[in-house]
Amino acid sequence: MATSEPRVVGKSLPRMDGAGKVTGTAVYAADFALPGMLVGKVFRSAEPHARIMRLDTARARALPGVRAVMTAADVPDVRYGGALKDETVFARSKVRYVGQPVAAVAATTPEAADTALAAIEVVYESLPAVLDLDAALAPGAPLIHEEWASYTAIPILHRDGNVCNRARIVVGDVERGFEEADRIFEHRFRTGMVHQGYTEPRAAVAAWDSSGQVTVWSNTQLPFEVQNTLAEILQMAPSKIRVVVPGIGGGFGGKLRVGVEHFAAFLAKATGRPVKVMTTSVEELTAAYPRQGTVVELKTGVTKDGRITAKAGRIWFDTGAFAGSGPGVASVATLVLAGPYKILNLHLEGFAVYTNKTNCGSFRAPSGPQANFAVESQMDVIADALDLDPLELRLKNIVREGDEGPTGQVLQAVGLEECLRKAAAAIGWRDRRPARWRGKGLACGWWTTTGGSSGVYVKINPDGTVALNTGAAEIGTAALTGAAQVLAEELGVDLADINVVSADTFSTPFDFGAQGSRTAFAVGNACRAAVDDLKGRIFALAAAQLGVSADACHLVDKHVLADGKRISLADLARLSQQTGGGLIAQGTFIAPPTAYDSKRVDGHVYPAFHSPSFHAHAVDLSIDPETGDVTIHKYVVAQDVGFAMNPTYIEGQIEGGVAQGLGQALSEEIVYENGRVLNANLTDYKMPTTLDMPRVETILVQHPSLVGPYGAKGVGEPPNIEPPAAVANAVAAATGLRLTSLPITAEHIALALRDAGA
Amino acid sequence: MSFEYHEPTSLAEAVALGARFGDDGRFLAGGTDLIIQMHRGKLRPRHVVSLHRVSGLDAIDANGAVHVGALVTHRALERFPAFRGPLRALVEGAEVVGGHQVRNVGTVGGNIVNASPAADVVPVLLTLDASVTCLSPGGERTLRLEDFLIGSGRTARRPDELLTGVRFAGLAPQSATAFLKAGRRRAMEISVVCVAGRLTLDASGERCLKAGRRRAMEISVVCVAGRLTLDASGERCLEARIALGAVAPRTLRAHEAERFLEHRALTAETLREAAELAVAACEPISDVRASARYRRLLVETLVPRVLARCVERVREQAS
Amino acid sequence: MSKLALTLTINGERHEILTEPHRTLLDVLRADLGLTGTKENCLEAECGVCTILLDGAAVNACILLAAQCQGRAVLTIEGLARNGDLHPLQRAFIDHGAVQCGYCIPGMILSAQAYLEEHPSPTEYDVRAALAGNLCRCTGYQKIAEAVLAVARDRSARR
Repeated sequence: MATSEPRVVGKSLPRMDGAGKVTGTAVYAADFALPGMLVGKVFRSAEPHARIMRLDTARARALPGVRAVMTAADVPDVRYGGALKDETVFARSKVRYVGQPVAAVAATTPEAADTALAAIEVVYESLPAVLDLDAALAPGAPLIHEEWASYTAIPILHRDGNVCNRARIVVGDVERGFEEADRIFEHRFRTGMVHQGYTEPRAAVAAWDSSGQVTVWSNTQLPFEVQNTLAEILQMAPSKIRVVVPGIGGGFGGKLRVGVEHFAAFLAKATGRPVKVMTTSVEELTAAYPRQGTVVELKTGVTKDGRITAKAGRIWFDTGAFAGSGPGVASVATLVLAGPYKILNLHLEGFAVYTNKTNCGSFRAPSGPQANFAVESQMDVIADALDLDPLELRLKNIVREGDEGPTGQVLQAVGLEECLRKAAAAIGWRDRRPARWRGKGLACGWWTTTGGSSGVYVKINPDGTVALNTGAAEIGTAALTGAAQVLAEELGVDLADINVVSADTFSTPFDFGAQGSRTAFAVGNACRAAVDDLKGRIFALAAAQLGVSADACHLVDKHVLADGKRISLADLARLSQQTGGGLIAQGTFIAPPTAYDSKRVDGHVYPAFHSPSFHAHAVDLSIDPETGDVTIHKYVVAQDVGFAMNPTYIEGQIEGGVAQGLGQALSEEIVYENGRVLNANLTDYKMPTTLDMPRVETILVQHPSLVGPYGAKGVGEPPNIEPPAAVANAVAAATGLRLTSLPITAEHIALALRDAGA
Repeated sequence: MSFEYHEPTSLAEAVALGARFGDDGRFLAGGTDLIIQMHRGKLRPRHVVSLHRVSGLDAIDANGAVHVGALVTHRALERFPAFRGPLRALVEGAEVVGGHQVRNVGTVGGNIVNASPAADVVPVLLTLDASVTCLSPGGERTLRLEDFLIGSGRTARRPDELLTGVRFAGLAPQSATAFLKAGRRRAMEISVVCVAGRLTLDASGERCLKAGRRRAMEISVVCVAGRLTLDASGERCLEARIALGAVAPRTLRAHEAERFLEHRALTAETLREAAELAVAACEPISDVRASARYRRLLVETLVPRVLARCVERVREQAS
Repeated sequence: MSKLALTLTINGERHEILTEPHRTLLDVLRADLGLTGTKENCLEAECGVCTILLDGAAVNACILLAAQCQGRAVLTIEGLARNGDLHPLQRAFIDHGAVQCGYCIPGMILSAQAYLEEHPSPTEYDVRAALAGNLCRCTGYQKIAEAVLAVARDRSARR
């Protein structure tokens, strides 16, 4: 551990993989190819809910260039999934969403594959489609999964018909809490389905070797999970499946789970040739793992001086035709609904509900923006009603050091007050309505650093460079650069001395995956563990070489120094290779469990936030009262990152997260009508362009966590959470309109102003 | 998506090929509409006749009457120096089409023939009383642009014709044009600092965008083009043209609104009345981009703004 | 359907190609020539990851027929660095932290390069408008704009 000023961590050093990316030589899964490779494409349902009466692939099989056509009949009858195993590779007897895979083809060219898809004959018998949450929850609603009760699921889930989980937090007595309140506020909110919008489609290439092993090159964020899922699906031992991640062009949670890897593997097996499957824009916007749309009901009681006495809330996630991440997301949501506030009486529920839409998954801070939109919007309504400054209302109720979280965890390293005050100051909070039709809004929140284990191997090469071998995938956040900075710091070398090998289930140690803002945190700590291990051996060898005591040794500037003598790490590595097999070590890390009160939770997959981060966003915007157009003048983020491992890349996470958040707030939605997506293309699925994004001012607040490397916390997801609420609050300040549905488009604002008689 | 590919090197050859293939063929200019429609499976021509080696169709001639060749790209239109004055709406319409990659290859002719009701340069051309020329083996014919556009994706082009250019008369004195896609940036946004570059806008803050959810890469939710010719005093309208995009199956001229404005003093009141007449002329649909109600509201809002801008510009030009 | 014999000049090198007429420049670059630096995504000229320079102008390779490139100069990201030295834009993108996942970057750099060649002193707004046809989902565009402005300033300073 560095005792003096850090040399490497905490510095805005350039990322290690930059040169390959700017020269176009870095290979992404979408670029990966093997000789003799076939093109695989997926035949997808055109019906939202229907029985398959007839499926005939004979014509397709007979076409020139077509080497395989597969359906459910050709693959093992397996249901797989995360917490709930309800998915199949292909639809069997019925289809449950437009876009659900029904068959797959492999052909010699993309055109031949397309022709084959067009030649597959299918006859459906329509079933009543369950188009939205209301329809799914109505008494007597058609069951999307008639055999839901027979599915394998983790025991704590509460499932019933179209509800595939109900998670709950109960604290104190909300009814008493509401009685204590002077005012009670009840609101209903609604948010839309949004796509992660990664610019690289999901892609996988699979190839089998002569010993019956399959290698899959994929842009998955979770190679080890994909390995396990493929093992279930292919009915093989995981050790015979190798998943390698060449490179990922953005993930944001949309590339966690199998999307195309299984098709590639099956088709490669059937044809004896490597097969590549890659999604199109249409498939991404109709059959991927987007963020669930939600409905939120929130009821909060406050005293007249603004102390929150009770909060009851329900959030329903429209998780689509299969559970996906729904059950877990419904759980996390209850913690977001509680908010970073001291509330003694809570009754919060999250529901994941099936509908006949694409099965939704995880998108950067799953449940975060949706639940936070509700909580933080309502806070401003409360402030307004009580004639309190929204900042003051928050400061009155936020958690501070040592306070309890909603499930009883003790909160440490709580930087929220500093974030709020700094964000407010930076936006010029004193002047909240600087002009007509202009207003400022605040929103704050908290989030987790997901646990799970990470292992690394570290090796010192005879030239003094260091190999870092990690199972983690680099999804673009520069998390592996951050982890390498930790390693360089601990070993006394430079970042430039480190080479990273990553994300190969065969040759790299297990990693829980690039999800939940955990990578730099966990891999960094695994590196520290590896160095602790390695130091023992380095110092023993140095001591013998230099004739000093191991206790006198220090790692400084690529050398071991002791009692005025020194020897380079390179020399030690060379010596060790000749005499002892090399200077190699392993390190593993898993965050210690966060203690919480298990009596407070029920059906809950995620009962505490680990090494939580805290954040506040502030925005200053104007409205054109006639067209409803929003112009953002300034956007500020104050985020408690614990310790800024690499400020430039943390800013990058914040700037990019805000961009996605503003997209959800103002312009993005996958629009369904009668079970079909209306805007399955990038013309009409509107992600922010350069001209839509304001500059984002970042304030890094540092309340070091007790667990993270150098006190770091997870940073990647949080910036996505607060933009919708901050925008809604600013729009309310600017117009007096309280908009409770996302996205808040110019149309909504303009028509609402008209209806309000403005 | 297989087809026979042809690359004529002269106008005569191109026309002959087009006539030979008729509806089985399509001319290819920038490809920003054609190739995309082919990728989506909406068009499957058996023959594609690329025009990129045909010379003579990419010139802009602006001595008096203006002639814009069919293969003039949006980028060339944007940059044409003579269009920075009273004909500025041509630049404003051109510069909001897609991103610069699309503007570098997408052509005015291709845009006209594609006949999207949401096209951007088309409404501007309508306010200029433009006409188009079509060439076939039988000869050349000229039609008013307003008559050429029949419906969404439909024009009066015959299967054996190639659109070669669009022309319009030079503007009378005391005239100005303006185009708005009604958007997020307007003249009074000098205070906006969200993108610092806005501080360097030209004085009247004339860069305006479409009404849409984004500031770039947008297909118009609504766009409005206007041309006004004022009397010598600058108070009264002599002639008005208003064209609306994305509010009907084809780009629309608001004839009644135009007639209403003739010989009227231009006050906020008359501009508003003209706007109401323009709204009455629309037949907007509700789709995933916007509701019909919002489209009407935008027409009501943007028409006065476009006309006010024209008035401002005439006055600036006079001073 | 007959194939076309094309001679394409990519990054100064001539390539003889035999391909069906419908194949785009993007298809040929990635699948036939192994030049995967130009990326594939929407295939509808909406995202810009396939941006290349055609006779110096930025265009989307996904809607450009390979046949239309005969006799014209194509520059891809692979052609930007000279003799192993990074182009100033490539250097600046790294130095300013403008690269995250990197998938949009080749197209972004080429769009910027084409723009700076013609507009040596842009404002931030100008740079953003020039890059409006290149979607990035990772960065929020801020450091990308900063990198391009830095290169423009450097060039001006050296004049």
